[in-house]
Amino acid sequence: MSTVESTSPAVQESPQTSVAPSHSHAASTAGRLSTFLSTYVFSKDHKVIGLQFLFSTLLWFLVGGLLALAVRWQVAWPWSDVPVLGKLFAQQGGQMAPEFYTMLFTMHATVMIFLVIIPILAGAFGNFLIPLMIGADDMAFPTLNMLSYWFMWPAFIAFGASFFVEGGAASSGWTSYPTLATNVNSSPGSGWGQTLWLVGLTFVGVSSMLGSVNYMTTIILMRAPGMTMFRLPMTIWAMFITAVLQAFALPVLTAAGFMQLADRTIGTGFFSPEGNIVNNAMAGAGGGQPLLWQHLFWFYSHPAVYIMILPAMGMVSDILTTFARKPLFGYRPMVYSVAGIAGLGFIVWGHHMFMSGMNPALGVTFMVSTMMIALPSAVKTFNWLGTIWGGRIQLTTSMLFALSFVSMFIIGGLSGIFMAATPVDIFIHDTYFIVAHFHYVLFAGTAMGVWAAIYFWFPKMFGRTMNEFWGKVHFFLTFVFLNGTFFTMHILGAVGFPRRLADAYHYETFHHLQPLNAFMTYCAIGMVATQIIFAVNFFWSMFYGPVAGRNPWGANTLEWTAPSPPGHGNFDYQPVVYRGPYEYSVPGIEGDHLMQTDPPNQAAAAAAAAAH
Amino acid sequence: MKRFAAVFWSLLFLSVPVLGVATFIVGPAYDIWLPRDVSEHGAAVDGLFYFILALTGVVFIATEMVLFWFIWKYDESKSNGPGRYVHGSHTLEVVWTIIPAAVLLFLAIYQMNTWADVKMRRPNMTPTVEVVGRQFEWRLRYPGRDGMLGTPDDLHLVNDLHLPIDEDILIQLKSMDVLHSFFLPNVRIKQDAVPGMKIPVWFKAREEGVFDIVCAELCGWGHYKMKGRVTFEPREAFERWLERKYAEQEATQPRDSEMAMASGVVSHPTQIAKNQP
Amino acid sequence: MKMLVRTLDMEYETVSAFAAQAGFKTPSGDLIRRDTRGHLSSGLFPVWVLGGVAVVLLLLTTTGCGKTAAASYRLNMVESAKQRLKPEQEQQVATILAALFGTPDEPIAPSECGLDAAKLHLAAGPVRSDIVGRKNGLYREHCAHCHGVTGDGMGPTAAFLNPYPRDYRPGVFKFKSTERADKPTHADLVMVLRNGLAGSSMPSFALLSDAKIDALSEYVKYLSIRGEVELALMRAFFELDDEDQGRLPEDREFLIEEIVLPVAEAWQAAEDALIDVPEMAADIDMAASIAKGKELFYGNKANCVKCHGVTGLGDGQVNDYDDWNKVVLQAHKTVQGGLEQAGEASTWDMDADEADEHRAELAWLDRFQKVLDGNALPPRTIRPRNLRQGIYRGGMRPLDLYYRIHAGINGAPMPAAKGTVPPEDIWHIVNYIRSLPYDFNGTLGVDKPMVARDRL
Repeated sequence: MSTVESTSPAVQESPQTSVAPSHSHAASTAGRLSTFLSTYVFSKDHKVIGLQFLFSTLLWFLVGGLLALAVRWQVAWPWSDVPVLGKLFAQQGGQMAPEFYTMLFTMHATVMIFLVIIPILAGAFGNFLIPLMIGADDMAFPTLNMLSYWFMWPAFIAFGASFFVEGGAASSGWTSYPTLATNVNSSPGSGWGQTLWLVGLTFVGVSSMLGSVNYMTTIILMRAPGMTMFRLPMTIWAMFITAVLQAFALPVLTAAGFMQLADRTIGTGFFSPEGNIVNNAMAGAGGGQPLLWQHLFWFYSHPAVYIMILPAMGMVSDILTTFARKPLFGYRPMVYSVAGIAGLGFIVWGHHMFMSGMNPALGVTFMVSTMMIALPSAVKTFNWLGTIWGGRIQLTTSMLFALSFVSMFIIGGLSGIFMAATPVDIFIHDTYFIVAHFHYVLFAGTAMGVWAAIYFWFPKMFGRTMNEFWGKVHFFLTFVFLNGTFFTMHILGAVGFPRRLADAYHYETFHHLQPLNAFMTYCAIGMVATQIIFAVNFFWSMFYGPVAGRNPWGANTLEWTAPSPPGHGNFDYQPVVYRGPYEYSVPGIEGDHLMQTDPPNQAAAAAAAAAH
Repeated sequence: MKRFAAVFWSLLFLSVPVLGVATFIVGPAYDIWLPRDVSEHGAAVDGLFYFILALTGVVFIATEMVLFWFIWKYDESKSNGPGRYVHGSHTLEVVWTIIPAAVLLFLAIYQMNTWADVKMRRPNMTPTVEVVGRQFEWRLRYPGRDGMLGTPDDLHLVNDLHLPIDEDILIQLKSMDVLHSFFLPNVRIKQDAVPGMKIPVWFKAREEGVFDIVCAELCGWGHYKMKGRVTFEPREAFERWLERKYAEQEATQPRDSEMAMASGVVSHPTQIAKNQP
Repeated sequence: MKMLVRTLDMEYETVSAFAAQAGFKTPSGDLIRRDTRGHLSSGLFPVWVLGGVAVVLLLLTTTGCGKTAAASYRLNMVESAKQRLKPEQEQQVATILAALFGTPDEPIAPSECGLDAAKLHLAAGPVRSDIVGRKNGLYREHCAHCHGVTGDGMGPTAAFLNPYPRDYRPGVFKFKSTERADKPTHADLVMVLRNGLAGSSMPSFALLSDAKIDALSEYVKYLSIRGEVELALMRAFFELDDEDQGRLPEDREFLIEEIVLPVAEAWQAAEDALIDVPEMAADIDMAASIAKGKELFYGNKANCVKCHGVTGLGDGQVNDYDDWNKVVLQAHKTVQGGLEQAGEASTWDMDADEADEHRAELAWLDRFQKVLDGNALPPRTIRPRNLRQGIYRGGMRPLDLYYRIHAGINGAPMPAAKGTVPPEDIWHIVNYIRSLPYDFNGTLGVDKPMVARDRL
C-alpha cells in the first residue's frame, strides 16, 4: 500500500462530511490566497509539478529557438544587419560583434540542454507519468518533488540574468572548457556571465538530483499490486534508468562546476597550467590541467545525452504500440538495451576527447566501447520496426511524431558511427558533422518524441484533445524544415566546415558554402515559425478542445484508467495489475486491447480460445 | 480519404532515404564534399570514411525503406484484420544482435592501425617547426640551421607555415593561452593545442599547394579569425624560403625593394579624392 | 483508505462524485470540475498561460521590425566635454565633418589630404562577407569591432582587450620608421597590418591581398585625418572672438587652410622624416657588441633599467600611462578635482553671477563624468616591455629595435635615444636586447624553461 502524504491544507480526516466545497473555513482572502498558492504554485501534487515543468521548459524552448535563429542568421549572412538584435549594434549599422556570436551559440546549447530537454523529459513527463503509470497516488517524496521544480527557478534567474551582466552571458561554449572559461580575461563572457552560468548549472543539477532520487524510490517502492518490474511500461523503465544515470553522473558535474567556480573566484588552479597568460593579464595559480575539466565534464555529459534520449525512447515505445495496436516487439530485449545503453554510457566519455591531447591509446579503448554502444540502440530500432510490422497503424499526430522519432534516430545513430571511428574523427571533430549528429538525436529524435508525448498525453493532462488537423500540419512542416536544416549539415561537415565560427567564408576551403547555409537558415526560420501553430493549438485546445474521456486512444497502461485529468490521489480506486502493458489485438477477446487492470478471467478466456 | 492520408504520410517517410541519398550525390557534384587530400595517411582516413558511409548507407536505406513499407502496408485503412499478436522473436533478437555486434567489432579493429599511424607512431626526429596557438594567431618557430629550437638562429613567423613535401614532418604544438586546435583539412590532421602541454603532430605531404590552417577549438571571440596558411613545396624551395625569411628577420636596413613590397601597390596616391567646400 | 474494488464499468464523472457516493471527502483544489455547459475542464493555472502570452507580447513589442540605421560616426565626446562645447557647437562640428569627410558608408575627403578615393571606397561601407566579388566593407569586416567605426578604439570588443586597440583620432602611432613626433608612412601602416603587433590583440593580416591591405591602410589614414580635424575644430572654439557668437567660420579659407591643411601636410611630410639608419658593421664582433650593449643598458646615458628593470622583465616602472590613457586619466582627475573644489564652495556668499557660474561648473562636471562613463574606456597603465620574452610589438628585426630605441615610441613613455646615444651604440644595445631571451645566467643556451616569469 502506498503512503499518502497530506498534500492539501484543506483535507479533513473525518470521512463522513459532505462534499461541499471546503473553502468555507478559509473565507478570508489570505486564506484563499494561501490555498491558491499551495494548490497551484507550491503544489506537491506530482501532476501540477509536472505541468509547471512543462510550461517553464516550453517557454525556454522558445528562447533557445530564437537564439538558434540568431546563430543561423550570422552563419548564413555574416556581418549583415541582424533583425531585432541589430539594435544592440546600432553604431556598427546592425553588424553583430564576434564575441556576441560566441555567446549566442553557448547560450543556445545551454538553454536547450539544461533548461529544456532534461527538465521536460524528467521533470515534466517523468513527474506527470510515473505515479500514474505505476499505479501510485503520488511520488514517494512530494515535498522534495516540489523543491526539485522550485530549484529550477534560481537557475532560470541565473541564466536569464547572465545576458544582462557586464560582458554578457557565458561565451565559452556550453562545454565551457578551461582556460577559456576559467580565465576572466580570455573572453568577455568569461566574467560574470560564466560565474552565473556555473551557478545556474549547479541549481539545475540539484533539481535533477532531487528528482532522480524521487523517481527511483517511487518506482521501486510504490508500484501497484501486480505491477512487477517486467510489467512496467517502457516509459517507466526509461525514466527509472534515466534517474539512475542522473544519480551517478551528476555529482561529478557538480564537483567539476565547483572546481571551476573556485578557479574563477578564489584563485585555485585546478584547470590552469603554470604561468598561463591570457590577453596579457597576470597568470593566476597554476599546476592544473585543462584536460581534467574535460574528463570530469564529459563523465557527466555523456550519460547526460542518454538522459536526454532514453525517456523519449520509452515514451515512443508506448506510443508506437498504442497506435499500431500491437504488443511491443521484444519487451525484455528492449529493457536490457536501455540498461545496456545506460551502463555502457559511463565508459564512453572519452569519445568527446579523441583530439584533446589525451593519450591516444586511451582513445582506442574509448573507441571500442563507443562502437559497442551502437549495438543496443540498433537492437531497439529493429524492435520498433518489429512493433509496427503487422500492426493496424493509426496515423494520428502522436503516431506520426513517434514514427519520425524512429526514422530520425536511425540517421542520428548511424552518423554517430563516423565519429566513433577515431581516424575519421580526426577530420570531422568540431565540424558540422558533429552538429548534424547531435541535432538529429536531440531535436529530430528527442524533441519529436516530446511532441509525440505531448499530443499523446495532453488529454490526460488537460481533459481535452489537441486538434488533429493542425497537429498534422505542425508535424509535416516541422519534419520538412528540420530535415532541410540538419541533413545538409552532414555534407557540410564532410567539407570540414568548422563549428562555432562567426564567419567561415574567408577560408578558401569553405567560401563556396554560403548558399547552402542560407538555405539551411531559411529552413530553420520556417521550423521555428511552425511552432506558432503548435503553441496556438496547445493553448487553445486546453480550453476549447474537444473533451476527452479517460482513454481516448484505447491504450493499456494505468494512467488511462484515471479520469482526465486525474484528481488528487490519481485513481478512483487502488489499481491492481494483471498483465503487461502491451496486450493489444489479443485474440479471443471483445475489443482489441486488454488494459493492465482488466481482470484475469477475460485473459483466461482468451488463452483458452487461443489454445484451440 | 484515410487511405490517401496514409499514402501521403508513408511517402513522406519514403522521402527520407530518397532525399538522404540524393543529398550525398548532389553535394559532391557541387564540390560540397571531402576537400582535396595531399597527405600520405589521408587515403586511409578517407577510405575508412567511405567504408563507414557505405555500411551506414546500406543500413540507412534498408531500415528507412522497411519503415516506409510497414507504414504503407499496415496502415489501418488498408489492413483488414487486427494487429499481429506477437511479443517478439528470440531468433530475430539473436540474429540482429550478433550481426551488428560482429560488424561493429570488425570496424573497431579494422581502424586501429590507421589511428596508431597518425597518433601513436611518432617518427624519431627533431621538430620541423614549433606551432604555438595564441589568441588569435598561429605563431611559428623554425629551429634554424642548428636544428634546435630556442637558439638565436630560430625563425619566428606568424600564420604563414611552409613545409617540405615528401618528407616526414614533425610539428611541436603548444598553446600560449587557451585551447586551440590545429586543423589542416587538406592533410586530414587535427590536434588540440593545450596550454601547458607540448603535443607532437606528424604527417607527410605528397603534393605541393597552398591550403588553409583552421582553428578547430573555440578560443574566444576571434576563433573565426585564426586563419593560417600552409604551403607545401619541394625541399629546395622550402630552404630558399627559410633563408629569405631569416634574412628579412635579421634586417638591419630598409631595403628599397622591401619598401616597395611593404608599401603595396603604390606609394603615392594618384587619384584626387572628392572635394566638398 | 481506498477501496480494493475494480470499477471499470462504473463511469464516475468526477472523483468528487465517487467520493461522495463512497462517503469520502474530497480534498479541495480538485483539478476537475464542470464548467457552465457541463463540460469537464481542468482548472489549470491561467497564470502560466498569461505568462506565456505576456512573454510573446513582450517579444513582439520590443522587437520592432525594420532594418537598423546605417552606421554613423561618433563624436569625440571626451574632447567636446573638455572644451565645454554646447550642443549646437557639437552639431556644427558634426555637420562640418560630414561635409568634409562623409559617412562610414560613403567616405569622401578634401583633395588636400591626398587620399585615394577608390581605396577608401573599397575599405568603407557595410559588409556581407558571403557576397562574392563585393566591392567594399573591408574595414567593417576586419577592424571595426575593435577599432570602432569611427576609429576611436572603442568598438564593442575593445573593452576586453589588453592593451586597448589604437584610437586613430589623435593621429599618434607607435610603431613606425619615422622620427618620434612624425606620422607613420604608408609602408609603416602596411607593415603593421601585415605583421600584426606581436603580443597584442592586433592580428596579422598577411593573408589578405596587397590591394586590400593597401585600402585598409588608406582608410586608417583617413580616419586619423578625420579625427585630427575633429580635434582641431573643437579646439578652435577657444580661439573665437565674441563677435563669432560661438560659431566657427565655415568658409574654405578657415576650414581647409587653417584646419585641414596642417593635418594633411603632417601626413605627407612623413615620407621625408624617415629615420636614417646607419649600417651595422658587417664584421662586428657580436660578443663584444653584446657586452657593450649591456653596459649601455645598465648605464646612465640610456638608462634602460629605470623602466625595463634590472632583470629586463619590464618591472622597473609600472605606474605610467600611454598618451591615450593619459587623456582619460587626466579627464577623470579634472572631474574629481573640480567636484571636490565645487563641493567646498557654498552659494551662500556668492552673488547672482557667481552662483550661476558655480551651477554651470557643476553641470559641466556632471556632464563630463557621464561622458567618461559612457564614452571612454577605463584607463590602463602601460607596462614596459619584458625583454626576456623575445616578443616585440613593433617587430623583432634589428632594424625595428633600432627604430624603437632611436625615436622612442610616440605616445608611450619610451623615450628617444636620438641625441643622447650615438648610432653605433644603439646597435650595441640592439644586439644586447636580442640576446636577452637566450641569456641564461649569462650564457647563450638551448631552449631551457624560461627563467623569466611570463609577461608579454
